[in-house]
Amino acid sequence: MRFLALIFKNMLRRKTRSVFTILGISIGIATIIALGAVMSGITSSMEGLLKSGKADFSVAERGVSDLMFSRISENRTDEIEALEGVRKAAGVIIGFYPVENNPFFLVWGVEKEDLPTVGVNIVNGSFFSQDYELIIGEVASKELTKNVGDKLILREKEFSITGVFETGSIYQDKGIALSLRKLQEMENQEGYVTIIYVELEEGVNVEEVSQRIEERFPDLVTIKSASELGKVDKGLEMMDAGSLAVSFLAILIGGIGVTNTMMMSIYERIREIGVLRALGWRRKRILSMVLGESILLCSFSVLIGSLLGILGTKLLMLHPVIKGVLVPMYTTETFARAFAVAFAVGLIGGSYPAYRASKLSPSEALRYE
Amino acid sequence: MNKIIITKNLVKKFEGGTVKALNGVNLEVFEGEFIAIMGPSGCGKSTLLNIIGGLDRPTSGEVVVDDIDLCKVGNLDDFRAKKIGFVFQLHNLIPVLTACENVQMPMFELKLSNKERNEKAEKLLKLVGLEERKDFVPTKLSGGERQKIAIARALANDPKILLVDEPTGNLDSVSGHEIIRVFQRLNKDGRTIVLVTHDKEIAEHANAIYHMKDGKILEQK
Repeated sequence: MRFLALIFKNMLRRKTRSVFTILGISIGIATIIALGAVMSGITSSMEGLLKSGKADFSVAERGVSDLMFSRISENRTDEIEALEGVRKAAGVIIGFYPVENNPFFLVWGVEKEDLPTVGVNIVNGSFFSQDYELIIGEVASKELTKNVGDKLILREKEFSITGVFETGSIYQDKGIALSLRKLQEMENQEGYVTIIYVELEEGVNVEEVSQRIEERFPDLVTIKSASELGKVDKGLEMMDAGSLAVSFLAILIGGIGVTNTMMMSIYERIREIGVLRALGWRRKRILSMVLGESILLCSFSVLIGSLLGILGTKLLMLHPVIKGVLVPMYTTETFARAFAVAFAVGLIGGSYPAYRASKLSPSEALRYE
Repeated sequence: MNKIIITKNLVKKFEGGTVKALNGVNLEVFEGEFIAIMGPSGCGKSTLLNIIGGLDRPTSGEVVVDDIDLCKVGNLDDFRAKKIGFVFQLHNLIPVLTACENVQMPMFELKLSNKERNEKAEKLLKLVGLEERKDFVPTKLSGGERQKIAIARALANDPKILLVDEPTGNLDSVSGHEIIRVFQRLNKDGRTIVLVTHDKEIAEHANAIYHMKDGKILEQK
């Protein structure tokens, strides 16, 4: 018999108690998985939005709490394009409009000639050429069952769909694109863009150009990678902090649950622990056995919690509003965090009972009734 | 023959010194001897056994087991693992483990592989005549069978000394005599046995009987 088999059999002694403890911790783990998947999805969407197509990086207004509040004078596009090493600068306005069941439908306003720079490839039909024409993302086309030649209502105005596009980013493919001028007019933002995509000449140092832009235009900020998203989206940072807080809460609540379960288990086995000590078991082995049991409980919680988290996120995605704006992503980092939390719960929750069990005097434990 | 257990003026007090469980016990046991200690409840028999087995420490006096002065050893875990085998009145087997797995419990402190542990446990079960019951959990075994498994478990680390506390207390007379025969066989093989019992008939199977009262050994037969 292996020591691990003994730990496993001990855990199964009180099946109902173990199952409820595992379920309790699993809920915390499921929350971490679901939040992590949503966060990763949003981060990935934002990253896709900010580093689209051929662009090496993007430029937004400095100090905004959300990218959607970014407002840059359109003249800046030409000024950036004129900088040495810059091949192309494309100003884009971004908005969210209610379309059918989705209140947050992504709408891009972009110059027709800038579409390749922002990564838009037409897979069916053609680009828009007039004010009341638009192109629709491949995913949106399927979800709304709209295709080339169909009509789409945006703020009570009817637009004709001239083409279907794909960008490689699901988030962008869930949206539509129309003329920059038309969207500026609809948004009352004539002469302004939300973001500028910058494509550099080959071999030019990205860091160097982005630094030059930030020095020359102090009101602007450059975003080169996902780690810099916080510069234009405080919401993401807050969500990340929230997710971390949930992890700590899960450790606290789960830890108390595990401590309680393990203490009950120890009290039921005091005499047995005395016998094991009499048979020569060292304190360390008693400690390992009890800690092993609590860590095993938490390992099962990771498995069940991960499944519950994925299932919960899938259920969440059935809601039309959420489905329209979110694409959850299950990253290794999310599962690693869940595993680390479970391990911490097992270790912290099991420490006190394990210490108490290892400190039992064998003769007193044998006298225990 | 060598003296394997020596106690001199052994005193054990409990509850801050108000209860004197042992009051100057002097005992000498020779290697390969089978002795029985008799006496009424609370006379200090089990306390004496616990001190000899390194489960408890005396308040004063000396206790030397197999040339080890137990009062001078800081941690007695290793001593218990290698020198002593305990058999209790209540077999105290782990209910979720099979007979074979229960016998393997003390072996975790030895550097044995899983296969070696299994083989050794099976041999010990054969020794007590229970090889057929190796996969049974304690609830599926009779009282006598459980006690035999507890004996096999006590032998797991091949100890020189067996300390046995009322092994037949919960058994019918037939099972009780079977258990005693196992101890006699083990004693014949050279193991030293210290048996604590109320039962005169059981005690008479030992080479020597000591009577205890009020924490003292009164006489030897």
